[in-house]
Amino acid sequence: MKLKHATIHSYWLMFVATVITVAIVTSSQLVTNRISLLLDRQASELLAADLVVLSSKKFDSEYRSAALEQGLQVSQSVSLRTAVFIDDEPQLVELKAVDGAYPLRGKLERAHDVTAQRSYAEQGPSVGEVWLDSKLGSIISQDLTIGEQNFAASWLLTYEPDRGGAIFNLAPRVLMNIKDLAQTGLVVPGSRVRYRLMFAGDQADIASFKTWLTTNLKPGEEIQDLENARPEMRSALERTRKFFALAIVLTLVIAMAAIAITARYTANREAPKIAMLRAFGISQPSLFKYYLGQLGRLWIAATAVGVILGWATQFPLQWALDGWFGKTLPQVYALRPYFTAAVVGLLALAGFSLPYLLNATATPPMQVLRTVVNRRSWSRGLLMTGSAITAVFCVLVILMQSSLLAIAVLGIVLACAFILPLILGWMVKLLLVSSRRRFWLRQYLLSRLQASSRGAIYVMSGFSLVLIAILLIAVVKDELMGEWQAQLPADIPNYFLINIRSSDVAGVEEFLRQRQIEASTPYALVRARMAQINGVDVDKIRFSHPRGSHSATHTFNITYADALPVQNKIVAGYWLSENRDPAQFSVEEGLAERLGLKLGDQLTMTVGSKTLQASVTSIRSVLWENFKPNFFLIANSELIAEMPQTWLLSALIRDQHKADLKQLLQRYPSITLLDISELMARVQAIVDKATVALQFFFLFALASATIVLLAAIQTGRHEREVESSLLRALGAHTSQLYRVHVLEFTLMGALIGFFAAAIASMAGWAVSVYFFDIEYHFSASLWGYSLVSACLVLTLAGTLVSRRVYNISPMKILRS
Amino acid sequence: MAENNLCIALKQVGKTVNTPDGELDILNNISLDVKYQEAVVIKGASGSGKTTLLGLMAGLDQASSGEVVLLGQNLADKNEEQRSSIRAGKVGFVFQSFHLVKGANALQNVMLPLELGAIENASELAATSLQQVGLEAKAYTQVDHLSGGEQQRVAIARAFATRPTVLFADEPTGNLDATTGRQIADLMFHLRDQSGTTLVLVTHEEELLQRGDRQILMESGRLLAN
Repeated sequence: MKLKHATIHSYWLMFVATVITVAIVTSSQLVTNRISLLLDRQASELLAADLVVLSSKKFDSEYRSAALEQGLQVSQSVSLRTAVFIDDEPQLVELKAVDGAYPLRGKLERAHDVTAQRSYAEQGPSVGEVWLDSKLGSIISQDLTIGEQNFAASWLLTYEPDRGGAIFNLAPRVLMNIKDLAQTGLVVPGSRVRYRLMFAGDQADIASFKTWLTTNLKPGEEIQDLENARPEMRSALERTRKFFALAIVLTLVIAMAAIAITARYTANREAPKIAMLRAFGISQPSLFKYYLGQLGRLWIAATAVGVILGWATQFPLQWALDGWFGKTLPQVYALRPYFTAAVVGLLALAGFSLPYLLNATATPPMQVLRTVVNRRSWSRGLLMTGSAITAVFCVLVILMQSSLLAIAVLGIVLACAFILPLILGWMVKLLLVSSRRRFWLRQYLLSRLQASSRGAIYVMSGFSLVLIAILLIAVVKDELMGEWQAQLPADIPNYFLINIRSSDVAGVEEFLRQRQIEASTPYALVRARMAQINGVDVDKIRFSHPRGSHSATHTFNITYADALPVQNKIVAGYWLSENRDPAQFSVEEGLAERLGLKLGDQLTMTVGSKTLQASVTSIRSVLWENFKPNFFLIANSELIAEMPQTWLLSALIRDQHKADLKQLLQRYPSITLLDISELMARVQAIVDKATVALQFFFLFALASATIVLLAAIQTGRHEREVESSLLRALGAHTSQLYRVHVLEFTLMGALIGFFAAAIASMAGWAVSVYFFDIEYHFSASLWGYSLVSACLVLTLAGTLVSRRVYNISPMKILRS
Repeated sequence: MAENNLCIALKQVGKTVNTPDGELDILNNISLDVKYQEAVVIKGASGSGKTTLLGLMAGLDQASSGEVVLLGQNLADKNEEQRSSIRAGKVGFVFQSFHLVKGANALQNVMLPLELGAIENASELAATSLQQVGLEAKAYTQVDHLSGGEQQRVAIARAFATRPTVLFADEPTGNLDATTGRQIADLMFHLRDQSGTTLVLVTHEEELLQRGDRQILMESGRLLAN
């Protein structure tokens, strides 16, 4: 018998589920690539370039020529400290001379005075003019003498992209044209001048140039990129990327659950037809081959539609994000996202549906005569489970960037897949036992939930998994993001007071206290360089971490403290004050990882001409985004208290106290004020952008959930019709039928909502504590949303989709 | 006009359905009276219209023409909701495929029509009914775990639990072997004799046909013998 007239019934649900899976992967790959590129570019703005080389000596033309040969843009700046006279008072300023190409990334902002509208500037000051920091705003429109040359102070410099690269060393900025620098006479042999050579270009070109640069770097030169430039920015970006990865995978898990449920439904619907075909002599391999062909065609069609849909979804996202970013998402031209989507679609479809169809092809031909249970053998059960796990694992491996996260997500999915049916089954049984000999509706509908023929428990488990994933995305989106932002308290400091002399510390503290200005504990800063690790010179160590050598050659600002700074956590060893060792270092965990440091390692540091040695006694985690004074290295006071040092503290200086700052600076002229509110706003902007993008993936999750819901309701439709017909025959009214369905779906929703909230809470806790390093708070609203949404959605959708059941003729029971 | 001693009265009843090939007459001009406490057995070949006739008599479906009176109520002007009210508690059914609620136990299945009719002491009445069919020991057994004969006994207990005025049985022994079928028939007629319930039974079985007070033979939607 030819099979050409046979078709897969109701396979459209499976088709839609596969389309959504392919679309999610296509879209997420395209969108994350584009957002990553945008985030990288935004981050590059903080360097005013993609890559920077720093040196205290003038660069020869080698780097510039090599960069230009590779098609990169190049810019140069020179910074030095000097004193200028303002109102006849000497003022230490950070002079920066820039060329016409500066900045390569980001834009300068300027204004005519403090209250005037800010405007973007394509390039820095023209020859003969200077732009001044707002703290020098009193002399705007006047002439300013720098060295031997007079300049017109024409604009206030309100934003400079790469401000804050060396956060503790900034005096008020004076920006000038590099062509004017020589005439000032400030750059002479022995001057402390910092040269910056900046590069920008395509990612690949920058990466290859960086590799070349690393091997050709001369002593005293230092490469700066985003990774080592700003720890708080790096932390924000890494966390954002993790959020994306998690949200995408969870959305995909929902889509795969939809494929699994629809495949099961399709296979069940096919069973009677298969029994008939087998009774007519069609062999099981022939049937399997036929269904394999059907699935192949389904995959090709779903991939085509899914890829187009995924590609098209970029546009609404771009539209949504443009409002927030104020700029267009950069385009990514690559075939890889489409190819990955097709492979993931194939894996998901094959992994979930093939075993079901294989099982369906084993439907006994006897079924044509009477109901015969198609008992699954152990091997076939193992094949189904193993195939599904392998499919999920392969997809996670393809898509996840964090292997730990991939294993955790797989663990959660497996736990749900195995434990949920058991728990839900026990729960229904428990309700059944407790409700024996009571109201028939309860007995009846509980027995409906328990009926294995309908697979209600598995459908409920599938839907629970979907809800768990949606709740987890919600947790990621709201709770974790909210928690992260909450860690930036309202009284976050907006100024750093740096370069405070030891003799001025008490006076500064008193000054602030008198004016009720909130300030942090003052921290001493001892500038040191790392000379040796465990007796080996750092320049001879081959670090396994790619950023190891850069980190080791930094100038470190070491502090000493008796108490562990706020929002620092000891992750290994003991805090300094808990040890009696007179020579100890507490190391930030990121630095420890980059340098391969462990407890007990000996660090030799040089401070000017002095050398000090101490062992690592603790490793700390630091919340860099809190904008409080944070340190890579903290020593015990006995070790460095006598070393040359300056002090810093952070303060929240509100508008009403800003006038006092002038008085503070007059009284303590060495102090430099650093306004960090702009930097904070930039970090917050990244969080905001990530939130908008996550909401977009939420839509995909909801679309997949709808498919699961439809499949779940469709699964029991035939039985529901027969049962409603029976109840009608026995005299049931429409209102009674309606009650049965409302109660059935509400109870189903309540059970699903309960377990989904419980598991999402546990998973949310694990994810926040172990992956995002954020304290997790129990969320009552999560439980509320879960229970209410599951009950409402299931009841509304269930009763709506089942509405024809209420009009079913009781004659159906005689005919069925 | 229905007479008071008639449980069911059909006057020139016809049933027509729409098919892709046009209208099809399933029943033609059927007139039939069933008295209270009478046992009427309907026989006919497959497709002769006997199940349709049973459905019309029980008010499960509506006639295309003519008049059906059940328990003194003319069904012609009644909608589905009103016909359900007429059936509730007064009409029992036994089906060829049993049609029990899977996943529920025997007692819960028997309680179903009692609770639907809001009858008090539903569980006690259901337990008594199960006792009458000899299944009191299996009251809490899930019906899926019962044999075919036992499942049909549960269906009979369910049908008699409400003490119905009339019981409709559609091939009640059709899915059972000869011995079990005979036992089920004995049980059904025994309970019917005890309760005085009117019985309308559709069957192929010659033996069952002989047990009715009256036999009706159908062919191509018409009554051949009454």
